[in-house]
Amino acid sequence: MLFSYNWLQDYVKGKLPKPEKLAELLTIHTFEAEEVKKKGTDWVLDINVRPNRASDCFSHLGIAREIAVITNSKFQIPSSKPKEDKELKVKDFVNIEIRDKNTCPRYTARVFTDVKVGPSPKYIQERLEACGVRPINNIVDIANYVMLETGQPLHAFDLQKLKDKKIVVRFAKKGEKIVTLDNQKFNLDKEILVIADSKDPVGIAGIKGGKLPEIDKKTKIVVLEGANFERKTIRRGSKSLKLRTDASWRFEHGISADLTEFAINRAAFLIQKGASAKVAKGLIDFYPLKVGPRRIRLVLDYVERLLGVKISKREILRILKSLEFKILKDETEHLIVEVPSFRLDVSLPEDLIEEIGRITDFNKIPAIFPKASLIPPKRNENIFWEEKVGDILKTAGFTEVYNYSFIGEGTPDKFSFDKENLLELENPLSRKYKYLRPSLFPNLLKNVRENFKFFDELKIFELGKVYRKSNVKSKELSVEEKRMLTGIIARKEKKEDGLSEIKGITDLLLEKLGLADIWYDIFEPTPEEKGDFWHPKKCGEIKVGEKEIGFFGETRDFEIKGQVLAFEFDFEKLQKLACEEQEFKPVSPYPAAVRDLAVLVPREVKVAEVLNKVNEAGGDLVQDVDLFDLYEGEEIPGGKKNLAFHIVYQAEDRTLKSEEIEKIHQKIIETLEKNPDWEVRK
Amino acid sequence: MVKNELKSIKILAQKEIEKAKNLKELNRVFKKYLGKKGKLSLILGSLKELPLEERKKIGKKANELKNVLEGKFDKKIQEIRKQAKKGIGKKEWVDVTIPGKKIALGHLHPLTLIKREVCQIFQQMGFEVVEGPEIETEWYNFDALNIPKDHPARDEWDTLWLRQNKLLLRTHTSPVQIRYMEKHKPPLRIIALGKVFRHEATDASHEMQFYQVEGLMVGKEISVANFKAVIQEFFGKFFKKPIKVRLSPDYFSFTEPSFDISITCVVCGGKGCSVCKRTGWLEMMGAGTVHPSVFKNSGLDPKNWQGFAFGMGLDRLAMMKYKINDIRLFHSGDLRFLKQF
Repeated sequence: MLFSYNWLQDYVKGKLPKPEKLAELLTIHTFEAEEVKKKGTDWVLDINVRPNRASDCFSHLGIAREIAVITNSKFQIPSSKPKEDKELKVKDFVNIEIRDKNTCPRYTARVFTDVKVGPSPKYIQERLEACGVRPINNIVDIANYVMLETGQPLHAFDLQKLKDKKIVVRFAKKGEKIVTLDNQKFNLDKEILVIADSKDPVGIAGIKGGKLPEIDKKTKIVVLEGANFERKTIRRGSKSLKLRTDASWRFEHGISADLTEFAINRAAFLIQKGASAKVAKGLIDFYPLKVGPRRIRLVLDYVERLLGVKISKREILRILKSLEFKILKDETEHLIVEVPSFRLDVSLPEDLIEEIGRITDFNKIPAIFPKASLIPPKRNENIFWEEKVGDILKTAGFTEVYNYSFIGEGTPDKFSFDKENLLELENPLSRKYKYLRPSLFPNLLKNVRENFKFFDELKIFELGKVYRKSNVKSKELSVEEKRMLTGIIARKEKKEDGLSEIKGITDLLLEKLGLADIWYDIFEPTPEEKGDFWHPKKCGEIKVGEKEIGFFGETRDFEIKGQVLAFEFDFEKLQKLACEEQEFKPVSPYPAAVRDLAVLVPREVKVAEVLNKVNEAGGDLVQDVDLFDLYEGEEIPGGKKNLAFHIVYQAEDRTLKSEEIEKIHQKIIETLEKNPDWEVRK
Repeated sequence: MVKNELKSIKILAQKEIEKAKNLKELNRVFKKYLGKKGKLSLILGSLKELPLEERKKIGKKANELKNVLEGKFDKKIQEIRKQAKKGIGKKEWVDVTIPGKKIALGHLHPLTLIKREVCQIFQQMGFEVVEGPEIETEWYNFDALNIPKDHPARDEWDTLWLRQNKLLLRTHTSPVQIRYMEKHKPPLRIIALGKVFRHEATDASHEMQFYQVEGLMVGKEISVANFKAVIQEFFGKFFKKPIKVRLSPDYFSFTEPSFDISITCVVCGGKGCSVCKRTGWLEMMGAGTVHPSVFKNSGLDPKNWQGFAFGMGLDRLAMMKYKINDIRLFHSGDLRFLKQF
């Protein structure tokens, strides 16, 4: 909010600090003063008044009160005593009816006659302009001026334009319409509080005045309204009409009902001077439920305990009194404090401690390390394993990406996601971010496309949450979010051994995570499969026991030129199975011997089957079996493939004799050839 | 006799030393004269057969000669080595400015690096790292944090809502405070890191999805002074230089008193520059002492407990640390950016 330096000066006795210095002081003690700008002979301060202080500091008087306290000067309140005309009685002019005291706790009004509408005094115009308000005429300007001065919105009506000289505060009826001062048309409903004459709405209460009773050059009699409306009513109305004004903003943040009287009298004083008007005797004041002041018990010891610094009782009393808190009781250990009505934000001892702390300056509090037990914190397992996986993939050449948690409107169809299970946003930022992602794939493939503009080959991964509706009834939120790990190798040139490359990565990852009993199974899309990413043939499931924990393979064609290989893990499952334990296996001091073996098998035979047989027959002395060649081609009889292995023989306790090795090797060959379709090549 | 022999050894040995072209040759000369069975060694060995008078005389001379020759050998060794180095220079010269072969390591995301560093510093101070869901209820995201419905305080957070069950994407990590305190009795100290969301148009400094770290410490006497020490320590460790912290009054529904935390500008050291808009200060986080309603809503008695809480953007920390000028780069997936970390 904008504040005029010269205007603030009016209410503080003694010269104000220079504008920049003042801004600095306010930043330290009250609110951040974001900018100081010179404007003619004045300076404009842009002060970031926080919403809790709307009740007093959306006003020059409120800020001036703060300045007076900070600079230890005297705060002076301007005159608010109009001279009333005894001949004219306010009650003879207007009749006011408030239908609901909850939505309109207070309604005050004054009447002015013989009004001469014209431009307002120069200083008022200048100050309004400094605060970004356009001057209109003396009546409207003074109403605005007093609002910026006191924080109380005021509204002026041309009395002669009100039917039956009546003002009714009521909710609008269905179908009622209004045209506001700036010629906007609004359809009203039962939720919207209005100011009406005997027939029609003439203003939207607390939000904006209507065109109908507008002050113009011919206006002679003015009714000035200073009312208090309930926060929620104004907020709801302002939201449903999508109409926010200076007034609605103040009301929805809350203003003390006590303020109307001072503000309307202050305006009357200025109107009398500025529009040479007569002020009718009396103040219309509907205020059935006067709210009593709040009292707070402040334990002095608590001030020190919470701030961590001792502030003398004398200083505490000085600060509270200067902020216009009343000390009702002053005991050795505690105070009973009465809160001034304009401080709607203060109701707890902690609120008072904030006042004491900020006026003292929080920066005077020393830095003292807390006393706490030396127990080391518990390890966060999720983060531990996330970091571990990140490190492994980084070492394997993968770069980590972070993507948005959203997917676009068209994405579900492209990837065959079941829309039923997707979480949709009520108010997405755009169609590109309509659903929460059920998989990391779509955005990662986008990364591939973008990066192909600059790179021929890339390896990326993301570890993040995916989201979907939950079928589990017991779930608190009826939604499920879980972590997934997806990695991609993409290159423009297809590589023959791509699949074994990506499998090498998953092998490495699983080994480093200490997972035992992993096996790879043929991919079988299940009916509730979450999307369709994989090449139907070049893809496998990764299993531990009977549990499927992930997939690897080539993706199906997503119109990306080249080869896209990927792996995907359910990270929650992966973490559960991961193990930190590791045991050293002694290195055998005895030499190893290598024998090669080539076997011809039907194409559909899995390498794993052959490997199993080799290991089974070989026993403990077979230390490693390594597939070094796989060939299916012209020289191989139809429907078969040739597998060639290095078999490493080694014992831990002796040097193997060649007869011994020969014997085992022979046993392996025999075992393989038990299958009539398999043929060991000699 | 022996005298003459010594003379001839002296002349011949010196000549041969001079002639030697490499260490191998020199070694041969050394063996010939000074080796175990070398000429001079043999003379020295046979001294005891001579009469005492002569033994003294010859012995002295022979030892002198030994010293002289040893000196010559040492000198020659140096000479040969020097020469050898010069020779290598020409033949085996390499251009050390040829770029090294690129090793294809991967890269962690800059925010991952920042998260790890933040966790590490706080863990060293005994803070446990905890987490919470990204999809939240109104209760945890707002009401429990003393941000009632129909209250303008809610306008501070532009919220992304789900169509499902009035759920929302958390706008801050603060709900974790409530969730943790519901299940754990103080004293406690935790940090929570994670993704948060806002209904906000994106530009160079605004994102709809970013990361926060939330801190909470609760005990019998945890004060503002304690907060100051902890946070100053954090910033000092993070930026690896002494950092001053400034507390200015601010307002958050879930803390009372509340502060806005600025630190001395890490670019100019507080003198004023374009990064800190000439103020010398950088706004880094919001903080305060836990509001009694927050304790109540977590099932704790505010009479028994007090403490501090804070929240800050990890993206902003990363931007400060690496001098990144556009927040959108973090979610760009652009390898030209990511490969720099």
